[in-house]
This record gives sequence, C-alpha cells and structure tokens, in this order.
Amino acid sequence: MYFNVKDVQQFEAQKEFIDTAIVPLLSLKFDEGIKQSSSAAEYLMSLTAFIEQQFKGRLMLLPPFSYTEQTKSGLFVPLLKEELHNVGFKHVLFLTCDHSWTSLMDQIDVIWLPSIPLESMDKEVKKTVLEDQLKQVIPILSSKWTQS
Amino acid sequence: MSNNRVSRRQFLNYTLTGVGGFMAAGMLMPMVRFAIDPALQTKAEGNFVQTSQKIADLTEEPVKVDFTFEQVDAWYKSDVTEAAWVYKDGDTVIALSPVCKHLGCTINWAGDSAHPDQFFCACHAGRYEKNGKNVAGTPPLGPLDEYEVAEKDGYLMLGKKVANTLV
Ligand code: FES
Repeated sequence: MYFNVKDVQQFEAQKEFIDTAIVPLLSLKFDEGIKQSSSAAEYLMSLTAFIEQQFKGRLMLLPPFSYTEQTKSGLFVPLLKEELHNVGFKHVLFLTCDHSWTSLMDQIDVIWLPSIPLESMDKEVKKTVLEDQLKQVIPILSSKWTQS
Repeated sequence: MSNNRVSRRQFLNYTLTGVGGFMAAGMLMPMVRFAIDPALQTKAEGNFVQTSQKIADLTEEPVKVDFTFEQVDAWYKSDVTEAAWVYKDGDTVIALSPVCKHLGCTINWAGDSAHPDQFFCACHAGRYEKNGKNVAGTPPLGPLDEYEVAEKDGYLMLGKKVANTLV
C-alpha cells in the first residue's frame, strides 16, 4: 500500500492484514555530493516501489524521511518506530543507502543497501538488478513475518 | 516593373492572411487533437502488447512473462512493467494475472514447497490452483484475473485483463 487516500482506505478496512511499515530514510546532499545523492535517491525509491508492488497487501510504504547532514539530528528514528508500533504496525522496517543508520541497529530494524547507479542502465538490466536486490530483502521480511 | 510592386495594402493583406492562417492552424490543431485523441487512446488500451515469449517454448508449466507498456495518468506518462503467468493447456495458451485477489500482492507459481502445483501468495499464504481458482480456506475470495492472448510471428501478445473464464 502507498500512503495515498485510496490505499489508506483499504488499509483502514484491512488493518489486521497490513502489519508492516516500510520507511525509506533518504539522505540529501546539495554540494559536490549532489549527483551521487540523487542517484541514491532514485535507487532507493525504485527499490521500495518494487517491494511495494510485490508485497502490496501486507505492507505500507511511507513517503521517504529525507534529511541533510545538518537536519539529520532532528530525525528521531526510534521515536518514529514507536509511533508506528503504537498505531498497529507490528513490523517497522527502515530502508536506507546511508550507512550511518546501521549504528542504531539495536533499536530499530534497518536494512542498509549500498546504492547502485540505475540511471546508467537500460530497462532490462535495471529490472534484473532490482530483482536481485529484492531477493536480499525477501528473507528479512519473511523471517519477520514468520516470527509473529 | 511598377506592375509587380507590392503596394502597402497588398503587403498588409498578404502578411495578415499568412499570420491569420498560422493562428487558425494553431487554434485548430489542438482542437483536432482533442477530438481525435480519446478515440485513439481507447483503441490503444484494447491493443495487445508484444512480449518476448515464444509461443513454441511454452509448456504446461507456468512461466513468468514480463511486459512493459506506457501508462498515461492525467498528464504523467510512465512505463509500467507487469507480468503474467503463462502456460499451455493442450493447444490453448493461458495467461493469468499475478495480482493476488486478496490485497494485491504478487503471487508465484510453486512459491510454497508444500504445494508445488499451485500459485502461492507470500503475504497471507493465499493459494490458487493452476487455472487461477482460489483455494478455499485461504484469504483470497476470487480467482486470478486472466489476460487476453494473441500470437504474432510466433510471439505471445497480451491484451486486456479480464475476469477468469476458466473457473
Ligand atoms: S494479499 Fe495475497 S493472500 Fe493476502
């Protein structure tokens, strides 16, 4: 499910089935890093959209939480996780290309994926790459789901 | 010589007709486009999309066939990739939609090792028989949708999604 009116309505009606929230954490850079940062953004957005397509009925993909180096400290990710837990998401999974979040591993479930420059690939290759990446995420999801 | 001279009045006439012509064309073209476009679009929707799957290579075992088409959402155009599970039943080619009828996850053939001859939805363990019939007792309440199929030069073409006709 996406965070849009149509999907949210379905979510409200089927809450017991949609128990997982996917939260992209997106680092934005505007200096020399801008190109790399946009590439990572594209990758993270494509990958999370692909995950959404595969598991639409079980998870909700939230809009990305974006930050810069300066504003990052204002993002209280463990708090966000609490909030989502409290409204009924049993599993809250953060996806990011920013390695620094792995330091919070003991408080939140974060999947760090090094970004892959999709922009230089044609459609077919891009799809294969995303499928490969998805295969890394599936075991994590299914282990979460079988736990409960 | 003086006969060929363009008078001020003639000059203005020529230019204004010219400009007027452009303006008329400029106004008419979009109108014509608007008038024709909807017709073109509905036709495009009914069209079949070519896949890279050879009909001859299909067997009784469902395979996943990806296909891409352009989707227009208001003024936003995007390429959408969808997939179908395709197999042969005798000589008929059957293409089923991979979208679970429960809450829309993507299903897989033999996705559950305990049921190797069924479609499986990993989200809430929904199952379907090979013809798309939902297995009673699992969450889905209806059978998988079907795609219209056609053949072109030996390749599979997929058309509109329709309600399952096999169940
Ligand atoms: S979405 Fe397929 S079983 Fe729930």
